[in-house]
Amino acid sequence: MGTNKQSETVGSTQSTKMGRTTRRGFIKGLAGAGAAITFGASLAKAQGNIGFYAKDLSNDKLAEMFGTMLRIRWFERTMADKMLTEPNYRGYNHFYPGQEAVAVGVCSNLVNKGRLDQVDYVYSTHRPSGHAIAKGVDIKKMAAEYDFRATGLNGGYGAEMHIADPSVGFMGADGMIGPGLVIAAGSAFGIRARGSKQVSVVFGGDGTYATPAFHGALNNAALLKLPFVYILENNLYHQYAHYSYSTPMKDIAEAAKPYGIPGVVVDGQDVIQVYNAMHEAVARARAGEGPTLIEAKTYRYYNHWGAPGAKPGQLGAFGYDPLAITSFRPEREVRAWMARDPIEIFRAALVNWGVMNRAKTDQLEASIKSEARAAFAWADKQPLCKPEDGLKNVFVEGSVAASQLA
Amino acid sequence: MARKSWMYSVLEAVQYEMRQRKDMVWLFELTPPVASNPGKPVINLEKEFGRIRVNNTGIDEMWYTGAVLGSGLAGVTAVTYIPYQGNGMVFQLLQNHAGKLRHMTGGKAEMPVVFILEMTGQTPGFAGQHSDYEIDTYYAHIPGLRTVIPSNPTDAKGLMVSAIRSRDPVVYLYPAGLRNMVEDVPDTQFETPLDKAAVRTQGSDITIVGSGGSMPEVLKATETLQKQGAKVEAIDLRSLKPMDTETLVKSVQKTKRLLTVDQSYYTLCPGAEVIARVAENVEGARFKRIAFPDAPPPASPEMFLWMRPNADHVVAAAKKLLA
Repeated sequence: MGTNKQSETVGSTQSTKMGRTTRRGFIKGLAGAGAAITFGASLAKAQGNIGFYAKDLSNDKLAEMFGTMLRIRWFERTMADKMLTEPNYRGYNHFYPGQEAVAVGVCSNLVNKGRLDQVDYVYSTHRPSGHAIAKGVDIKKMAAEYDFRATGLNGGYGAEMHIADPSVGFMGADGMIGPGLVIAAGSAFGIRARGSKQVSVVFGGDGTYATPAFHGALNNAALLKLPFVYILENNLYHQYAHYSYSTPMKDIAEAAKPYGIPGVVVDGQDVIQVYNAMHEAVARARAGEGPTLIEAKTYRYYNHWGAPGAKPGQLGAFGYDPLAITSFRPEREVRAWMARDPIEIFRAALVNWGVMNRAKTDQLEASIKSEARAAFAWADKQPLCKPEDGLKNVFVEGSVAASQLA
Repeated sequence: MARKSWMYSVLEAVQYEMRQRKDMVWLFELTPPVASNPGKPVINLEKEFGRIRVNNTGIDEMWYTGAVLGSGLAGVTAVTYIPYQGNGMVFQLLQNHAGKLRHMTGGKAEMPVVFILEMTGQTPGFAGQHSDYEIDTYYAHIPGLRTVIPSNPTDAKGLMVSAIRSRDPVVYLYPAGLRNMVEDVPDTQFETPLDKAAVRTQGSDITIVGSGGSMPEVLKATETLQKQGAKVEAIDLRSLKPMDTETLVKSVQKTKRLLTVDQSYYTLCPGAEVIARVAENVEGARFKRIAFPDAPPPASPEMFLWMRPNADHVVAAAKKLLA
């Protein structure tokens, strides 16, 4: 699904003034993300075996996947609107909209409930909402955590960048770039030692390729045939810099070759394509055949952090982000990607496949929208943290002496 | 002399040195070396010196820190700006290489390099990894590295000039919580010594010592205490290694009371070293230190702000010593 639409993507990036010869050359080489995706798909097919595993998904499962994508979208949009319209609201976010198909396509292949020795693991990034929701984290508790409430998912200690819920295998977000890769591969090492049939998945952005941990994670996971899947969400920008600043490569998935493991490029706007690729990666991991690197070409509709350039009630952010001195995202680039919205692509497929009609999808969206609103309304009423509780949770037992302060 | 922001003052110093040294390099990842200031020309090092010398890298702290160290060993003066997200990742290169190479090579290795290590703004809400203030302790422990920490734009400029001109590797800690400070800073290039503390106020009742991010609260508390009649000698360490023992000892010989204030964690905070040095040299003094408790900074602003030492904490602790 969606393959016939891929040619209509981001052609406008080529004609946009990038202001830097290196980047312009890079974009020319890329010849538009649509072409890259086509190339990617053929790369994966050339390796032989991406099957259309989504053919076996039940209508209920497809509807559930669509609902999860909507839940991510409306959790984020509800929060963005709060940030923009309520001056006293304190929460912040690295918004995920635009990338929903990646999180949902990946996590739909995983075991998302069970004991620590049963559930599949996801290690997330500093842009964690989508991964967490796709894994099944309670959005009420997330909303409370994002607003530093004592009853939030992590008691107000972590906020957005450190949400974690091992009960669904969501091992945690991380504010750093790199360490998560080896930690996640390390969990795969532990799984192998235990002999359980679990899989450890790490999400990383395009910026992670430049970190030494990229090599450490894949080298060792390949060497030891660990049950590990590396989902590289290439949304083109690490923080405020285009990824052409940190790698000479166009398709980072090519980096899988020297390790002798599959490297797959997928259209990250198409949940089914992500699902299919992940299906194969998980089967391979569970069979003890080792890791897979999946590069999902995707895009974020908001700026790196917070909501600069966003307007209440409107999807996405446009205009200059004052922090983006090195590279900023041209409005046409943002709009071109939004024209291939993962939710609309999936909605069209569900209607086309007769899974649900358009009105049904609208109904589902309306109910999820109110679920998201209710989650934030609940969070608003939750108690704030007690100051002295900051001295707890340092070790299993006890708390730090308050006398260190006075 | 003109009113200047912190970053403008620093980049003014760097721009001058880069114009003198035609091969000097600057590597950065997140923070472009760009600053503007009312009534002054915009400084943009990347634009002025080009991407061969001023290079924007990926999120690869090992690379850009290694590149600076290697450039220095090759005789090229080099500076890197390491954002707080990466300021611990480069520890190995500084601890096992930069700090030891001169000594291990019998004095042969030369490293005209500066590592600007940004510390977080200690912004409430940003949690463990983005609100912490701890690397002063870590890097000050390493032999062979000069470790300085300015607390105002003037020192930021003078210490940067001295750091670039130094033939030793310098860890230049930047407490980014102070980024909004503006003050009169000389336009000319000047050096601030890399090994001298600054006595901010003179007094004979109590010595209060801080550094970097804790200094604004120390000075605020000093003002309050002075209004209440206490004669406070406030000292800004400026250099953590080497530490200016002489200034500290002289002061406490006079006041016989020493309070240290740190935003770093309590255990082994710079103040612990200050107290130890003074205790070795002054008889009959009383001591107290306050610091961020030995816990990572929590996200909740209610918890975090309660834990971070502020002027009220300083005044209360000083009164205990004065009582």
